[in-house]
Amino acid sequence: MEQKRNFEIESMNEEVEQMTSLRQITAENAVFTKTDGGFISLDFDSGHWDRVNVIRLFPFTDPDKYISVRTAEERSREIGVIMDIRSLSKETAEMLEAQLTLHYFTPVIQKVIDIKDEYGYAYFHVLTDRGECRFIINMGGNAVVRLTDSRLLISDIDENRFEIPDVFALSVKEQRKLDLFL
Amino acid sequence: MSEKKLPGKLFSVLENEGITPETILAYSPIDLSFACEYVYGYVFLTENYLGVATSAPISSHIIYMKGTQKKDDVSYEEETEYTYRLYDVAKVEKLHREHMVATNLICMEYEGRPVRVAAHSNLYLADMEAFLKKYKQFIKGEQITEEEEAEEQEELYCPVCGTKYPDEERKICPKCMNKRSIFMRTFRYFLRYKWMIIVLAFCYVASALVSLAWPYLSGTVLYDWVLAKNDTYLAPFGLQGQYVTALFVLVACMLAAKVTQHTISIIQGSVMARIVATSIRDMKQDIFASMGELSLRFFTSKQTGNLMTRVLGDAERVTGFFLDGFPYIFVHSFTILASFIVMFRLNWQMASVACVLLPLLVVISVKLKPRIWSLFGRRHRAERAVNTKVNDNLTGSRVVKSFGQQGGEIERFEGPNDYLRDAEVRIEKYNNRFTILYNLVQEISAIWVWLLGVFMMMQSHRIEVGILITFVGYVAQLNGPMNFFSRVFRLWSDSINAAQRMFEIMDSIPEIKEVPNPIALTAPKGEIKLSHVSFGYDKNRRILKDIDFEVRPGEVLGIVGRSGAGKTTLVSLISRLYDVDEGKIEIDGIDVKELAFRDLRRNVAMVSQDTYIFMGTVADNIAYGNPGATREEIMQAAMLASAHEFISRMPDGYDTVIGAAGKDLSGGEKQRLSIARAVLANPKILILDEATASVDTETEKAIQKALDYLVQGRTTLSIAHRISTLKNADRLIVIDSGRVVESGTHTELMEMNGVYAKLVELQTKSLSLEEVDD
Repeated sequence: MEQKRNFEIESMNEEVEQMTSLRQITAENAVFTKTDGGFISLDFDSGHWDRVNVIRLFPFTDPDKYISVRTAEERSREIGVIMDIRSLSKETAEMLEAQLTLHYFTPVIQKVIDIKDEYGYAYFHVLTDRGECRFIINMGGNAVVRLTDSRLLISDIDENRFEIPDVFALSVKEQRKLDLFL
Repeated sequence: MSEKKLPGKLFSVLENEGITPETILAYSPIDLSFACEYVYGYVFLTENYLGVATSAPISSHIIYMKGTQKKDDVSYEEETEYTYRLYDVAKVEKLHREHMVATNLICMEYEGRPVRVAAHSNLYLADMEAFLKKYKQFIKGEQITEEEEAEEQEELYCPVCGTKYPDEERKICPKCMNKRSIFMRTFRYFLRYKWMIIVLAFCYVASALVSLAWPYLSGTVLYDWVLAKNDTYLAPFGLQGQYVTALFVLVACMLAAKVTQHTISIIQGSVMARIVATSIRDMKQDIFASMGELSLRFFTSKQTGNLMTRVLGDAERVTGFFLDGFPYIFVHSFTILASFIVMFRLNWQMASVACVLLPLLVVISVKLKPRIWSLFGRRHRAERAVNTKVNDNLTGSRVVKSFGQQGGEIERFEGPNDYLRDAEVRIEKYNNRFTILYNLVQEISAIWVWLLGVFMMMQSHRIEVGILITFVGYVAQLNGPMNFFSRVFRLWSDSINAAQRMFEIMDSIPEIKEVPNPIALTAPKGEIKLSHVSFGYDKNRRILKDIDFEVRPGEVLGIVGRSGAGKTTLVSLISRLYDVDEGKIEIDGIDVKELAFRDLRRNVAMVSQDTYIFMGTVADNIAYGNPGATREEIMQAAMLASAHEFISRMPDGYDTVIGAAGKDLSGGEKQRLSIARAVLANPKILILDEATASVDTETEKAIQKALDYLVQGRTTLSIAHRISTLKNADRLIVIDSGRVVESGTHTELMEMNGVYAKLVELQTKSLSLEEVDD
């Protein structure tokens, strides 16, 4: 019993150690494979994971760098970090990008067709890179977040996200429609 | 929930597999492909299969997010071809939804391997949750139950325009709740002061009449009657030949007119001041009252600075139009109309010339008005940003100073502040241009009148000099009302926008409502029972999942778990700061939702880590929950909370005024005051949330002693990081990732050798290490 306890403490210390150190995943020390189930498996550091999730640590400011590779369970744990996705092989990078794109799915607004604001809500009618879309935002909350001076992230009442990467690239007329949120 | 039906076209492909509409047990729409395109699609369940059907990307159709689709909008789903995938339901395990950043992924294990089934946006979140629930019932072999909402579906659409309510909880159609009804609602605030309004109306009419008479007196009467010594006109007044007397009479009349006008202004001013101040007060009172009704969720979702602008600024903005604008619409319309009638009767040619540019003024106003609306909205947002920043900085002043960031903060303040300046400049610039253009048009009309008048006088003496002067007087007098009409739009927009924001707060139906006939809790025993409780602040992320436990009357239950496990959330649910999403919490066998707020809050007291001390005296703060308490009771409570000592050392004792947020008190002192507050409230159920977390060992001992007394005869839920503080708990539960993972007495849990044992071990180990380090 005593021994078991000691062992547990050690494993816990190890866990803490792991939590506090950054483990780098590189093209040399890891193999990512696409699974039949549509996920990605990982062999890394003498371990194997049937399914891993990837997330961006700086999704807005540095989407290609610092990719955290995590276990798939609910209380996920970080296995390691890919410092730059471009340092991996082209196939691996594409495979991970596909997962990331789905995870961060955010239609990009290319054209603002109409915005009407009425009684606390704004009705958007826009053209996105995924097609024409209508959605509603709540004007009271923080539905429109300015990531930078020109970049907007918009969340509708269901918290579906839309993005305008560069407001100033839109026509003056469209910018005027967005005036309410600038 | 959407009420989408499975399209017929889908079954034409599924028929081959023997799947017909009758065999479908449950389904949920989905709308994303794994390649990140919008598609039409469904996940469905039959006796044998779990199926997913999707269409090709639908980028050529409009995608309707929640609330945007009207009932008569065409759906193309019936025309779409579907491809499908079927999974043998017997091999499906752990079917669940995973939350991605703004979308969802349905995953499962199929033959033991992880497989992704489908993806969907948050639009179908509720449908998917219902589907997964039915799936769970199915695999457990239970009867699949439909949610009881079929009849409510109809009500999700606005009966007038057919738009879906953006917020189903709050059945207000933003399209129909338009500016007009906002106006009427606001107007009611002023109608309360009927008599004052009548006095005001009288003043307005009287001053309009006087100002109408003025040009006539100073023009026609002075020049054409008196100066021209025209007896025809003077005869009716019995003044023929007495020109000096006539002049004196005229001067007396003019003087009387002016005196009347100014007296009216004085009355008007004082009545107005009264109405303005009172109605602003009424509005602020109403907003403040509705803010109190709002649930905590509302406050956490909006920045405080933002709210402050609302309460303080909006009420003032609202009154702007109603008192400086609205009545004058009538007064000035009357003045304009009457002036024109008089002018036309004096000389129609000149009157026509004066009117000719009038339509141009209307065009200028109507054309340029909308821009002003948006500029004002912009300024308001900029103001809000500045307020938020200031508020943020004041609250965090300690951190700012200790990191030496004053400079940085000043720089960060510059952004929003510059923005406010720009917004202000833009408004002024635009307004300026607008006003100048407007005035120019008016001046041109005045010049024309002069020109034509002089021309007519030179040509044929068709008019007298007095008439010309009267005329010019009227034209000049029109400027005021005309200017007003160009400005009134601005007042109107400002006012209605503010009213809209104000009503938004007043109309936010509190998420947590008392039921119409609440049950009173007269002799509480203090029994608590949680059954299948699930909850999340964010609808996508569950903090608590399926929690079940019971606390007997008088029992002390310790709640243990890592930080972020959901402990504080759990206890907040018991005092109903939030409502559970699923499941039920009962006190003495009564659902907390059924209990009267008064009884619930009086019987459940919380001593938490972040105690709030209000501005006021120490005694007031202790008696916060029980304002009728006597001095003896307050002292008794303070003693039991071991707060008496430090209070008596304060210069003004119990009458010491504590500054805002209790800044003069230490963490342990605030903690003890809040314990005293709880003692005085004398609740049957006591919740201690890390009550001793932020204090030194000696203070902890003191507080612990206070708590030991406090828990006697009460049901207590105690949360603590340090397991040592829970040593006198009768029973403990361990929460991990929002679930109860272990429960039992200390000894039982140690024997289980699970999470709890691990925590204890780790804490004793690190404690002994600390001792060595010391």
